[in-house]
Amino acid sequence: MYWLRRAWAELRNEVFVLPSRTLVLLWVAALVMLPFVYDDAYVLRILTMTCIFAIFAASWDLLAGYTGQVNFGHALFFGAGAYTSGLLSLKLGLSPWLTVWAGAAVALLFGFLVGYLCLRLRGSYLSLATLAFPLIALGLLFAFPDFSGGELGISGLRRLALTPTGNYYVAAISMLAIVFALWLLADSKFGIVLHAIRDDEVAARASGINTPRYKMAVFAIAAAAAGFAGALLAHYLRVAGPSTLEVALSFQVVIWGIFGGVATVYGPVAAVFLLYPLTEWLGSFPGVGELRLLIFAVIVLLVLLFMPRGLTPWVRDKIETQCPRCKQRNGAWKKICRLCGAALQTQVSRAQRLVGHQ
Amino acid sequence: MLRTIIAAHLFALAALGFALGAQAQTIKIAILGPMSFVQGEHHWNGAEMARDEINKEGGINVGGKRMRVELVRADTNEIQSVPDATNAVERVITRDKVDFLIGGFRSEAVLAMQEVAMDYKKLFLGVGAAHSKLGLNVEQNYERYKYWFRVAPTKDVDLARTLFAVLGSIGQQIRTDLKTDTPKVAILAEKAVWTEGLVAAAQKNLPALKMEVVGLWQPSAVATDVTAELSAIDRSGAHIVFTMLSGPVGISVGRQMGERNMKAVAWGINVEGQKEEFWQAAAGKAQFVSTLDTYAEVEYTPKTIAFVKAYQARFKKAPTYTAATYDAIMILKDAIEKQGSTNADKIVAHIEKIEHTGTGAIATFDKRHDLVWAVGKTSGIAVQWQDGKKVPFWPPNVKGMQPFKMPAR
Amino acid sequence: MFQDILVTGLVNGGVYALLAIGFSLIFGVARIVNIAHTAFYMLAAYCFYMLLVKTGLGFLLAGLISVGAVTLLSVICYRLVIEPVREHEAAVLIATIALALIFQELMLYTFGGHFLGIPSTLEGAVRFLGVSIPYQRLLILVVAGAMLVLVWFVLYRTRLGLAIRATANDLEVANLMGMNVHRVAMATVAISVSLAAVAGVVVAPVFVVDPFMWLAPLVTMLAIVVLGGLGSLKGSLIGALIIGYVEAITVFAVPAGAYLKGAVALLIMVIVLLARPEGLFGIAFEEER
Repeated sequence: MYWLRRAWAELRNEVFVLPSRTLVLLWVAALVMLPFVYDDAYVLRILTMTCIFAIFAASWDLLAGYTGQVNFGHALFFGAGAYTSGLLSLKLGLSPWLTVWAGAAVALLFGFLVGYLCLRLRGSYLSLATLAFPLIALGLLFAFPDFSGGELGISGLRRLALTPTGNYYVAAISMLAIVFALWLLADSKFGIVLHAIRDDEVAARASGINTPRYKMAVFAIAAAAAGFAGALLAHYLRVAGPSTLEVALSFQVVIWGIFGGVATVYGPVAAVFLLYPLTEWLGSFPGVGELRLLIFAVIVLLVLLFMPRGLTPWVRDKIETQCPRCKQRNGAWKKICRLCGAALQTQVSRAQRLVGHQ
Repeated sequence: MLRTIIAAHLFALAALGFALGAQAQTIKIAILGPMSFVQGEHHWNGAEMARDEINKEGGINVGGKRMRVELVRADTNEIQSVPDATNAVERVITRDKVDFLIGGFRSEAVLAMQEVAMDYKKLFLGVGAAHSKLGLNVEQNYERYKYWFRVAPTKDVDLARTLFAVLGSIGQQIRTDLKTDTPKVAILAEKAVWTEGLVAAAQKNLPALKMEVVGLWQPSAVATDVTAELSAIDRSGAHIVFTMLSGPVGISVGRQMGERNMKAVAWGINVEGQKEEFWQAAAGKAQFVSTLDTYAEVEYTPKTIAFVKAYQARFKKAPTYTAATYDAIMILKDAIEKQGSTNADKIVAHIEKIEHTGTGAIATFDKRHDLVWAVGKTSGIAVQWQDGKKVPFWPPNVKGMQPFKMPAR
Repeated sequence: MFQDILVTGLVNGGVYALLAIGFSLIFGVARIVNIAHTAFYMLAAYCFYMLLVKTGLGFLLAGLISVGAVTLLSVICYRLVIEPVREHEAAVLIATIALALIFQELMLYTFGGHFLGIPSTLEGAVRFLGVSIPYQRLLILVVAGAMLVLVWFVLYRTRLGLAIRATANDLEVANLMGMNVHRVAMATVAISVSLAAVAGVVVAPVFVVDPFMWLAPLVTMLAIVVLGGLGSLKGSLIGALIIGYVEAITVFAVPAGAYLKGAVALLIMVIVLLARPEGLFGIAFEEER
């Protein structure tokens, strides 16, 4: 009883006071309740894949948004996880529940490797160098077709759960857990260090922070999450092929990340949840279907023109304002700050927005 | 009293309408393919021809009831995205509620699509993907995969048998024309899993056929420049370039061989060379390029010429092997009518024992639900590009075949 | 074999140089990583195809119109799409990716997914050092050389070139000196994309034209630009030659490994970056505070 009242108090004071947090709560509830309301296998399939790609996108944001290491080859980790999990479960007959963790672990190692190789690279050099890694991996895969299945990949993998609903929950729960963990990480002192590294690495090092260690750690964590997502996808589709390492996939996650808003873990997740089902839905119309990538690109371009920082920062700015005194966020309709009581005036808030976000 | 009579009439009308509505039930077949690309186009065209032909006769006779055929066009986008293909399969099964699935092209995608179809125990007739794993699944796990049949093409290892048969005949022509005992063969195979077995088989069998292998070159499937390979092949003095190419590298090979006026002749698998657009894509340079193919205006089966002519008249282009969706639908029609039902298990049992005279092959299926290979039945034909036209030249005993030409020396 | 490598490496290197120098120029001046650079190359190839094959104009006229049209399109795209979001680097990045995708899909929709062949401007081949070189390839080499000389002339002998170099050196000071930075950026975009368009017109007859032809050269070009050093024109030229020769060596020396030429080129790039993080001739950019 005490816990219930405590939970209710927390909800009322922490969550419902802010529109954005309420939205997140509603979204989580919707995700969890979906199979009870709408049991269509096709819809469940789309949402399962959306959840898997959401993990992928969130992991990219940690790397690119927070640390400023814009990774153009994130598909490497995705593919590493997929292939490792596939190979282990097929060749050694292990259960997929074990091999997905192995996939994440191998992807973590790849993350360390790539992070180490990219330590001295900055900005665009780093981005373009990371583009090369999945392509080199693809070359290696094609060079050893007996091991990797060449252009066909590995097929006949086992599913994690047997029913569409089961698979959906595996993906959704994993996504909620991983994204929440990443967000907590980004919101902690670790995250502050990452911000510092992005904004001014020299100053961070001068302050005594061991930046190479943090940079490699972020690469590893992001890689592990992406590898986990890759393994999930491989076991869902039952095929782990070179399509998991394609340049197009790397570009796709960059688009999701920036479209949703960098340096917010939830931004790319929102982007995936908006864009992936949209493109899939467009694809189901016979005439329009062949144009869906075009429509996707046009939407992205148009949204960028109006919301250059991404979708979620723009939405958040519309529904919330920042208190000028204590810098905490409030609902946009409020007149005084919920925490310090200062007056929330629109002119002041606009000036805040010109100077920069928090 | 009057009200009862009116009610009875209304009820009868409703029942009649209901029965008529039920009568207007259709057999829904999903045609799955990459619709913005040539392969998907031909998938759809072949299927349309079959559907129109069947519906003109009133539909398929299902145990006394006539049901029309309705096609559902599903763009799998498989060339660009494997998940999109599986989404399409799931959509047509759960949303459009189709009864049968036909099509597929990219082997990596079809493997994933096969899984979805088998989950729902829907019959999936493959027309396009040659990889043996698809049939191997049937052998290793019959109860799950038995709903899969490969109507076209023959599985990749059987393609080798046709290749060597034709290679032998070309080699013989070279022996007589050029007065050389052992023709030299350069193997030009794209680096891919499907060519591995073929390359190994070639390296083993060619010496037995009294031909010398002068080298192996393996460009990438999407290579656009094969100058290096062709220069080296030129220098090796090869008479035949044995090609195993499925990607656009086939176009580059055809064009650059023509531009260099190479004396060697190209024979093998050149999937791009099977398309009508090949001559234009190679800028009119691909003279003498020959490849394995399925359709031409020859009497491969009694139905081939009529089909090719009708297809050409309707769609203004010649069919490629993915137009065998026509044969797939006809096989389904045959099975449904003979079994009197659309029940998947019964149809599976029927197709396993069928011998179907189609337009591209006379088809029988083995225990892997793959086509049984036989010259003149399922081997396909060989065509050579001469002056902008695809000229069929093998098997020589089929009516309509013409002679194979070689570059002047 | 040695002569093959020499000649093939030179020709391929020349083609890559055309693309890489344009890309480097935009990056050096406007700090834009233009992912759509090779997409413009593809557009020029398609335009050339349409004018040549469908309308039957002569090679020279079709080529000039294609280059002009694509250059104009690029300037329009820059004004409409890139300039509004100039301050947000990340947004510029995906704006160029989105543009490239739009071009790809438009071409896919208009022309279909199959491969098109453009007839060669020059037929026939010449034998040089025992290697048979088609005239078209020599044409590519000559045009590449001519364009490079032209770019050098514009950059080092005209006032516009001076403005471009000044802006590349230090954007803020150039602005303070009274140069219209926006107009300079537009001029740079025009020059850079016209280089890519010329590459498209001259190279397309040698390769096949399809809506996805922009991806493979993009990767190689990025590798070259990074290898040579972002923003350094000399670096791009030398990088192009290096990569051209690396690919030629891979294909000739290991015929069964020809498919690996892309991966090997990328590997070379990674190795060079490990030793010199700014590329061979690159300048380490000071963080603009």
